[in-house]
Amino acid sequence: METIPKTETPPNPTPPERLAYSIQEAAEMLGVNYFSVYRLIQRGKLKPCRVLRGKLLVPRTELLKLLATE
Amino acid sequence: MSHPFEHRRPTELEDKAHAEAVRHFAEHLKQFPASREAVERLERDVAKVALAANMAAARPTPHQNVIQADDGAQWHKDVDLMENIHLCHRPITGGAEYAVVEHFPARDTYEIWNRGWNASEVLKVFTQEQRQALQVWREDMTAQVQEFLTEKFPGQDLSRVADAFIYKCTTQSVFQKQSHDHSHEQKHSRGMRI
Repeated sequence: METIPKTETPPNPTPPERLAYSIQEAAEMLGVNYFSVYRLIQRGKLKPCRVLRGKLLVPRTELLKLLATE
Repeated sequence: MSHPFEHRRPTELEDKAHAEAVRHFAEHLKQFPASREAVERLERDVAKVALAANMAAARPTPHQNVIQADDGAQWHKDVDLMENIHLCHRPITGGAEYAVVEHFPARDTYEIWNRGWNASEVLKVFTQEQRQALQVWREDMTAQVQEFLTEKFPGQDLSRVADAFIYKCTTQSVFQKQSHDHSHEQKHSRGMRI
């Protein structure tokens, strides 16, 4: 009996790393509440960027910088 | 600021959009009033808290309340201001220096927010900064709600809904929120609009 040759499935491509996160996501990643993230922004410890309508996003590089310096 | 629905009742669409925004941003609605109230409480109690710190500075501190902050100095925890944020003092020649210190549990580090020789002034600066942080939060929340409504209900003017949501966040007390949760279903079954 002939067997159908197995085709190798390509490994799942790794999704590209996000460049920025919402405040909620940043809070979850840092393990703190929302207010703590807004406080870090207010103190200049996290520099967010403003997107449409003024919504804040925290760049990934800022989160990494914060964790490295803390 | 008056409630955006005070003069004209919400339309059916506004009602629906408001309910969806409340569901989507439930965590903001829970955390913002609690944080706002914590700041208000602190603003009210500045004199009391400062007095407690002054009294604590005048007596020996238990060993477990002594911490090392990021300035390398040892500080004595006097009063818990908020979660992981303490008013501390350290003895100096002729008195005490006070500081608001935040604990980062993940790294077990203590970071100084602000410091000074007058506990009351240190607290006032801290509460002002908390107010500013709340303002940043409010602006971001407004933008998020507007974005959510635009995406969910394209082409509709739901500015009153966004305003009503922010009004709810900035005026509702944690106690009201709890009683609202208990009576929510009952009110809806009677056809009342919240």
